[in-house]
Amino acid sequence: MHYLDLTILEIHDALVAKKVTPKELVLEALKRAKANDDQAFEMITEDVALAQVEALGEPEVDNPFWGIPFVLKDNFSTQGLETTASSDILNGYIPLFDATVYHKLKQAKAILIGKTTLDELAMGGSGTTGHKGNTYNPFDPLHERQVGGSSSGSAASVAAGIVPLGLGSDTGDSVRKPASYAGLVGFKPTWGLISRYGLFPFAPSLDHVAFFTRSVLDAALTHDVLQGHDSHDATSYPGKKESLFPQLKGDVKGLKIAIIKEVMDSMIDAEIKEQFYVTVSKLKNLGAMVEEVSFPLPLLKAIYPTYITISCCEATSNNANLDGIKFGPGFPSKTYIEAMTQARSQGFSELIKRRFVIGSFALLKENQDVLFIRAQKARRMIVNALNKLYDNFDIIYLPASPSTAPKFNDAADKLSSTYLIADSHLALGNFAGLPSITLPIGMKQGLPYGANVMGRAFEEKTTLNVALAIESMMGLKNLKAPRD
Amino acid sequence: MMKKVTKAILQDAASRLMFSLSDDQLDLLLIEFDILIQQMELIGHLENVDQVEPMTFPFEVSVDMMRSDEPSEPLTQSEALANASSKVAGQIKLPKVV
Repeated sequence: MHYLDLTILEIHDALVAKKVTPKELVLEALKRAKANDDQAFEMITEDVALAQVEALGEPEVDNPFWGIPFVLKDNFSTQGLETTASSDILNGYIPLFDATVYHKLKQAKAILIGKTTLDELAMGGSGTTGHKGNTYNPFDPLHERQVGGSSSGSAASVAAGIVPLGLGSDTGDSVRKPASYAGLVGFKPTWGLISRYGLFPFAPSLDHVAFFTRSVLDAALTHDVLQGHDSHDATSYPGKKESLFPQLKGDVKGLKIAIIKEVMDSMIDAEIKEQFYVTVSKLKNLGAMVEEVSFPLPLLKAIYPTYITISCCEATSNNANLDGIKFGPGFPSKTYIEAMTQARSQGFSELIKRRFVIGSFALLKENQDVLFIRAQKARRMIVNALNKLYDNFDIIYLPASPSTAPKFNDAADKLSSTYLIADSHLALGNFAGLPSITLPIGMKQGLPYGANVMGRAFEEKTTLNVALAIESMMGLKNLKAPRD
Repeated sequence: MMKKVTKAILQDAASRLMFSLSDDQLDLLLIEFDILIQQMELIGHLENVDQVEPMTFPFEVSVDMMRSDEPSEPLTQSEALANASSKVAGQIKLPKVV
């Protein structure tokens, strides 16, 4: 066992007790990052890490992030470090400023080990569409299985035990779904609580900063350090900050928890379903009131097309600035139109182009009413129904994915007419901006799978208390892929 | 009335987005459009869907304060030009327009 294999909280105790030094941790993290073959990294930031670790002073007892190695998804701006969002159109782009979340972690003296791979521009769910190719699930040494996406490299690095913390972004389920496939805790706090300044926008009405840890308490600590109003982000929540970590006791007595029947009906894996109900029984034993309720099926079926339409429309518009002229690789041309067309034709993958065409078509004046605006109306109806459920319940609790990590296949990221509700319901948390946390509840043939706890907006404390109770009951904390 | 989706329309959309799409990709995109439009038609049948306001953000956030009026440093010229691949005389260089 190396101290790097522990949770943030445990590593912090070891650092304060001087059982391990930050330099030892960082050198081990760099060694593991270099040896990793899951294609998790866009860049290993060795020089930055070593410089940061040399600049650390004495251990800071009240700062749990002092000397903790972490990774960032490569769609967070890092001053002086190339940031591509795994897209060729941003090759060579070096941001001039730090994303607020990176700035905060630097201030807290956490150490950046690397920038991680993602589905190109964060638009995908398979970890297969970035410009480096597939990112692999560390739990499958044969490299046949996805780790999920779009925050694929951050999920792989935390699951492989390289770092105890990985930042990602979550627009539909891009942290919470890979968390399920990689045996991790994946937490997306309420929309607005964490600044998005410096995060490349995909669909800003749905985008959230989110993160992977290997315990619920580590997720609470990370929320506490990253939260807070930021004048650089106009959508940042201006209200009071609330620290979660000191308040979490895992108490669920008297809480009302809803399970959506229609999502359970669409679960394909009987073993996962059964294990989920084991956790439900345990929650009941702890005094929670758990009830299976019905949610209008047409609205659940509307989640996927609503998400695709809104996200493609917003993405098309947001990425119009990627012209290959102000930044990115330039192409010598006779006209500026030719320069842009060359940059965009060669810089975007085919998938991204298809998504942009969908968005652009849905935004055309003659199509808007029946595509973009109608999707926004469907979003309102879905959120209204969700909020009605929250009139009577504190929490919605469901399996986080319909299966363990899927194998790589050709169908990934093509629009499908046969999607499962159980595969798309996590986007509810993005539509309504709710706190939502995935955590592991079981293993099947060596592969982990998770459940998801979602609370009312700004009720992260209740949400994490339920997650903490489940983690304690199931004993699946600090899961990592076995090392050779 | 929504335009019928054809390969020519998709090609036109791609060129307005300033990129090219291969024939295979256009074929795949036609299939994807077929799926999406069928699903959006189902959404069109949701009861009273057109009676609700479109939702543009997760919840209403009203910000009624002004940011403090603090001076800050803008990018320098060299910073602003740092990522451009082609520049001349302190500006980004483009091919001649007229």
